Amino acid sequence: MVPHPFGIRNRDELRTIAGQCVEDIARQLQDPGSKSRAARASDKPAPRAELVEVPGDADELNQFFIERKWGDGLPIIAPTRERVARMLKHTNRAPDEVVATIAPAYRAATVELIAINAVAAGCRPEYLPVLIAAAEAVGAREFHLQSIQATTNPVAVWLVINGPIIEKLGVNYGNNCLGQGNWANATLGRALRLILQNIGGGLPGIMDKATQGQPGKYTFCCAENEAANPWEPLHVERGFAPGASTATVVGALGTWNMNTHAKDSKDLLRVIGDTMAFPVGSDYVNGGRPWIMLSPEHAHLLKREGLSKADVKRGLWDNSKLAAKRLSAKDFGRVQESRRAELGELTPDTMLPISLKSDDISIIVAGGPGTHSVYFPVSAHTRSTTREIILPG
Amino acid sequence: MTTGRQVYDPVAPEYSGPQQLRQSLDGLAGKVVGFIDNAKPNFNYLVDDLAELLVSKHGVERVVKRRKRGAGVPVPDAVMQELSDQCDAVITGSGD
Repeated sequence: MVPHPFGIRNRDELRTIAGQCVEDIARQLQDPGSKSRAARASDKPAPRAELVEVPGDADELNQFFIERKWGDGLPIIAPTRERVARMLKHTNRAPDEVVATIAPAYRAATVELIAINAVAAGCRPEYLPVLIAAAEAVGAREFHLQSIQATTNPVAVWLVINGPIIEKLGVNYGNNCLGQGNWANATLGRALRLILQNIGGGLPGIMDKATQGQPGKYTFCCAENEAANPWEPLHVERGFAPGASTATVVGALGTWNMNTHAKDSKDLLRVIGDTMAFPVGSDYVNGGRPWIMLSPEHAHLLKREGLSKADVKRGLWDNSKLAAKRLSAKDFGRVQESRRAELGELTPDTMLPISLKSDDISIIVAGGPGTHSVYFPVSAHTRSTTREIILPG
Repeated sequence: MTTGRQVYDPVAPEYSGPQQLRQSLDGLAGKVVGFIDNAKPNFNYLVDDLAELLVSKHGVERVVKRRKRGAGVPVPDAVMQELSDQCDAVITGSGD
């Protein structure tokens, strides 16, 4: 372990640190204890969740959870045997089935543990299949959850729902879909956060090293406004049947309101692209995977002028190029190194694309009436991932 | 504390399911050690110094260094294969 801060040390200090570290590294490489740990690795099933005795009083119960760092700082619903059993009826999967292992602790997200955390977050029993799909998605290799859970970045996992389950569960896709007031949005996003924390080990200040974090780390869930989307919805674009329901997870660094009364597509793409291009955005360092939530009004303006979703992505990609001279000198060097193979040698006048290709920009349509679209910066560390929501047969 | 009831512990227990854990080395002399430089500021210098010390003080035969494109970007599969083919142990950094 090298103490923080490390990046600002000078060359002599680094030599001293190396001298201190090398003996520890040599010892660990030869540590016979690791052999015994290897011998214990097996295919045995994940252990079942344990019942624990807790206070009967609600205030004391919450204190019990707070002291053990089992919650998110908000009051919880007691995950009793009865409530968890009721939730488990909403899947055909066995309670001890491992849905995914969740980084950085890489512990097992069993169906039962997903249900327990869903109950604690206040989810209704029928929400369980959504969270099973979400757990599969965050556990996928391409999502690279390790880079989300242990970073200083403020990244939160945004859960986007598509398909017929939106209406069935009443997930909000309209007015204030990223705000307060809807049970499904509030508790689904919260349950996913509890899964990341209680199963993945992303405890604030311990494994979760976010410098400030963001409010979306409490809950961050909405659906796509498919009826107002003039193109194919996200899940169909990603190869799922129109009648399928899906959960998509996105490592979003924040939400950025873009209010514009632009009245033609060229003007609209120009101002949105210009908003995306800011010199301290993580996207430009390695080439990001940004998301845009278009308001229905903005989406229809673009469609009315004959643009496909791919055309819109291309237009945003063209308009969001950032002049390299706007970066700090240090970041200029970082980009030079990380994107040399893609862009060659940088000059101050090099125009940096926000992503390697325009299709790395994702677009959904959501929200109610109004001239507000939303930009979600997403660094290259993570690739949004979609999994089908399977309902019990 | 009021007398209680039972709830499930929401925290996942330790899990040693299907996974591959590292094996220890029987000494470092003559071994090949790989480093994956995570591209965080200064890590390349730390790797240079550690490599020099592992060779001079611990008899490591050689050190193979590969630098990632960015800290959070996974190592390409080809580099992983190259390191696993050549090295007795591979070390990387996490955090900054």
